[in-house]
Amino acid sequence: MKSLSNEQLATLVQSDRVHRRVYTDPEIFELEMERIWGRAWIYVGHESQVKQAGDYFATHVGRQPVIMTRHRDGKVHVLFNRCAHKGAQVVGDTCGKAQQLRCMYHGWTYDTDGTLLNTPGEEGYAGSGFGKGNPASNLQHVPRADSYHGLVFASLSAEGPPLKTWLSGAAASIDNLVDRSPDGKIEIVGGCFRYLHDSNWKMFIENLNDAMHPMVVHQSSSGTAKRVFQDLHKETDAVPFELEMLAPFTNDYGFFEKMGLTAWKYGHSVTGGKISIHSAYSPIPGYAEMMVAAYGEERVKQIFAVNRHNTVVYPSFTLKGAITSVRVVKPIAVNKTVIESWVFRQVGAPEELFTRSITYCNLINSHANLVGPDDWEAYHRVQAGLSAQDAGEWISMHRYKGQDHALPDGTTESAGTSDMVFRHEYDTWKNYMLHNGVFP
Amino acid sequence: MSARMKAVAKAPADLRVIEQFLYHEARLLDEQRWDEWDALFTDAGVYWAPASPDQANATHNVSLIYENALLRAVRIKRFRHPNAFSLQPRPRTVHAVTNVMLDSMEVNGDCVVTSRFQMIHYRREKQDLFAGTYTHHLRSSPEGYRMALKKAELVNCDAPMESVLVYF
Repeated sequence: MKSLSNEQLATLVQSDRVHRRVYTDPEIFELEMERIWGRAWIYVGHESQVKQAGDYFATHVGRQPVIMTRHRDGKVHVLFNRCAHKGAQVVGDTCGKAQQLRCMYHGWTYDTDGTLLNTPGEEGYAGSGFGKGNPASNLQHVPRADSYHGLVFASLSAEGPPLKTWLSGAAASIDNLVDRSPDGKIEIVGGCFRYLHDSNWKMFIENLNDAMHPMVVHQSSSGTAKRVFQDLHKETDAVPFELEMLAPFTNDYGFFEKMGLTAWKYGHSVTGGKISIHSAYSPIPGYAEMMVAAYGEERVKQIFAVNRHNTVVYPSFTLKGAITSVRVVKPIAVNKTVIESWVFRQVGAPEELFTRSITYCNLINSHANLVGPDDWEAYHRVQAGLSAQDAGEWISMHRYKGQDHALPDGTTESAGTSDMVFRHEYDTWKNYMLHNGVFP
Repeated sequence: MSARMKAVAKAPADLRVIEQFLYHEARLLDEQRWDEWDALFTDAGVYWAPASPDQANATHNVSLIYENALLRAVRIKRFRHPNAFSLQPRPRTVHAVTNVMLDSMEVNGDCVVTSRFQMIHYRREKQDLFAGTYTHHLRSSPEGYRMALKKAELVNCDAPMESVLVYF
């Protein structure tokens, strides 16, 4: 097969439309894995998943198996999960604790920072240039790894902007997630959802800040919740969390319009800011007082004034600060993606806040619940519909074209329901795919 | 003999009734008689499908489903909603319940029952097989048993999985 030239790729993404092949062509998916997922900072996990020396957590960066470990000196390492000897995955489960990492095949043993410690029959390697003492025989580090507030990211490219620079305006979403803990600390508690999608990874990313879909797609869950509550509600009942969570999905277009949309360099974006579908939740008893005691009244006002809805850290990581959950994108194939949902606990905050986050994730992100599956169905139908070649080759990004507000610092703002976010993501896509990841 | 075993030994005659209750409950799900199924719960009854193996509780770990009466009412009403897109076409199921064992029984007839289940799930030309363990906390009442808890622990609860909108 003749590979796609950059000129051909460039024709597939235009200023107001994108060609269906971008979601359906396996060759383009392979190029994305190399040029986007091989260059950008990709979310690995949170340091709280490897609290103590010897703890490890196995995951993937793009499609490459990696292990996040905590070494004796407290430092977190991101290593490829591949024995230097014959290539076997050294860690075979998802997480655990080990003093040393021992390959099950020939017993090569590594320290938790990747250094090769022992090879059975070591003398056989004498003079070979391979084995102990040779850095190439260690478990290899990913080219770059760094963390921001304990969120660990890795880049498969040695070149590129540092993590903090690259996060640009999305860093403030992470700041707010951490600021909402009275101790200024977050930790992952419990397992995750692993939701299998039969669609391209970009559909999920694009949907998160698509504010024209909730009132249509989620009518049957959010609208029904409102009606059931009206039927069952007694005057004396408090409004249950569950209803507070489900109801705003069917807010009107005006609400989502007003929520606003902001995009930053490297493809990141956020809906909301001053308001979001999470900003009208009932207060958790005692929480505001704890926050004031920790930060002072003025600072707490600022922290709670930040009401970001979905933050997308392109291409792998999305975050909801108000309910302390993240969703992580794991591309498998052009039409196969796993979305993992994890919940953070804000250390020092009332347990009720954490329980509310758990409830939210159960209600919205679980593959066995009522909201996420309607999104899933939309992605499924788009993926299936895009195989209709003769009906039209293009996907629209026309809404509010020409009405984006570009600010001098590189930020772009628009109405909440604008297609600006898609146009922005495809500008990013082009920078990664056609310009070696160099951004103007 | 443990206190639990003693209690079980005292009430062997109830096992047939309990088994019939479990088969009836599964049948209501397969026949999509959700209102009748929902009526099998006590007022405070909960349906729970954990998301992690050996999950100890529903407060410190996400769950595939954790539903009280309000949330069950939403799911059930949504089954009939004309715009519930993920139910178009609607899934069909067959539940098979086996290995029913009475784990404990109180003097008043309340009991804890474990069993194994398989659920065939069919939607849009795709058939999936789910399997796991049920734990039923049953309350005895003059009208028969009511469920204070139905827990469905899938053997692959932490695996990547597509949408499942019905009760296991």
